[in-house]
Amino acid sequence: MLEEKVYSISELNRKARGILEGAVGSVWVKGEVSNPKRAASGHLYFTIKDEKAEISAVRFKDSLIGAAPPEAGTEILAYGRLTLYEKRGRYQLIVSIIQPAGLGALMLAFEQLKDKLNREGLFAAEHKRPFPPHPGKIGVITSPTGAAIRDIISVLTRRWPALEVYLFPATVQGEAAPAGLIFALSQAERFSQSHGPLDLIVIGRGGGSLEDLAAFNDERLARAIFSSDIPILSAVGHAIDFTIADFVADQRAPTPSAAAELIAPDRRELATTISTIFRQLINRAKLLLEQREQRLARGLKSYGLILPRRRLEALSQELDLRLTELLRSIKDVWGKRRQQHSHLKELIHRSDPYLPLRHGYSLTFRAGSGVPLRAASLLSVGEKIESRLAAGKILSQVKEVKQDEDR
Amino acid sequence: MKIDESLKRLEEITKRMEDEQLPLEEAIELFEEGINLARGTQEELRRARLKIDKVIEKAKGEFSIEDFDLP
Repeated sequence: MLEEKVYSISELNRKARGILEGAVGSVWVKGEVSNPKRAASGHLYFTIKDEKAEISAVRFKDSLIGAAPPEAGTEILAYGRLTLYEKRGRYQLIVSIIQPAGLGALMLAFEQLKDKLNREGLFAAEHKRPFPPHPGKIGVITSPTGAAIRDIISVLTRRWPALEVYLFPATVQGEAAPAGLIFALSQAERFSQSHGPLDLIVIGRGGGSLEDLAAFNDERLARAIFSSDIPILSAVGHAIDFTIADFVADQRAPTPSAAAELIAPDRRELATTISTIFRQLINRAKLLLEQREQRLARGLKSYGLILPRRRLEALSQELDLRLTELLRSIKDVWGKRRQQHSHLKELIHRSDPYLPLRHGYSLTFRAGSGVPLRAASLLSVGEKIESRLAAGKILSQVKEVKQDEDR
Repeated sequence: MKIDESLKRLEEITKRMEDEQLPLEEAIELFEEGINLARGTQEELRRARLKIDKVIEKAKGEFSIEDFDLP
């Protein structure tokens, strides 16, 4: 006996804790909450039990933020690390996640279906169809009385009213909901074929609990969405992060309002886009005109326009030449005139009637007249005449008039 | 959709006008078309009213379309 090792309590508890933590670790447990107590430290102590057994559980303050403390008597699924509190020698579950047991089953089913469909490739990116940038005709599958259609209409009216919305009424909650949604989807597809194609289909509902949204986690609906000919936008309210419909849809919006925003561009954005296009057009037009002007200017220097320009230059030269000629001729004329004028002056000078007088000639006038006499016959006997010599005058009276024989 | 087509055409026009070799006459035509389209699109959107119909399938493939008013 004495050879046997004697443990201190501390040693024993530490060893037991090691074994417990190593062998079990973190686990999910299902049971009923009893005797929940919040300690002064803020930690939550409670017991989880079933018909035959119970275990102490603690949820530390840090992991409690935002979480409602479980009520006594509720069935829960708890996820925690099994350990041993050495000071008391009590083993316990340090709980990090608590869910209602029913929810837990749903979650589990959800995870399993998600994995299954994912493995089958229903969520694969290559199956996602793109949406037209500005859809014109959209189908909406939801309750006609729910929040979803109201939100969608309100957002579309505000953002982009140039749309046709076709509502395919469907029950979105309860046991009949999956079949109803699938049927509405098939109606929308038939309608799209007979009444002109729908650009996309929004399928959704407002927020709710996981149970409320169960229809959107239905496998048959997931497959119907996957095989739809029309791009599908899932729009399920935001109680939980995702539904199966979200994963399989071509696009997912966190709420129906967000879906409407995703479909419709804001008309104010479009106004901006259009004024940008306006500006671009005007700038382009200006630029094009400027380029033409520059090209024209360059063109004048370029070979293409040498010929006409040369012709112009030639013309201009010719004009110059002609002008010069004209000027010259004008000058010539004037010069000639001038010459003529001087010649005339000379002539006039030379024809000075008084000039011959110096050579002994004389000019005869009828008395009192300034006109020189050229014929004797113009005179009568007895008339007084005046002769002008180089120096002085002679006054005479006509005695006889004789005419030349040959004149 | 009319507005969508207009926007597509506007995009084409602005792209086309970036071509420096574009004949001036064509550029002027495109410019006018673009300005008219932009104005028309704005006007169309200003006048647009959201159309909401409720579709009921009476018999398979036989639809009745009713105006939908929010309850």
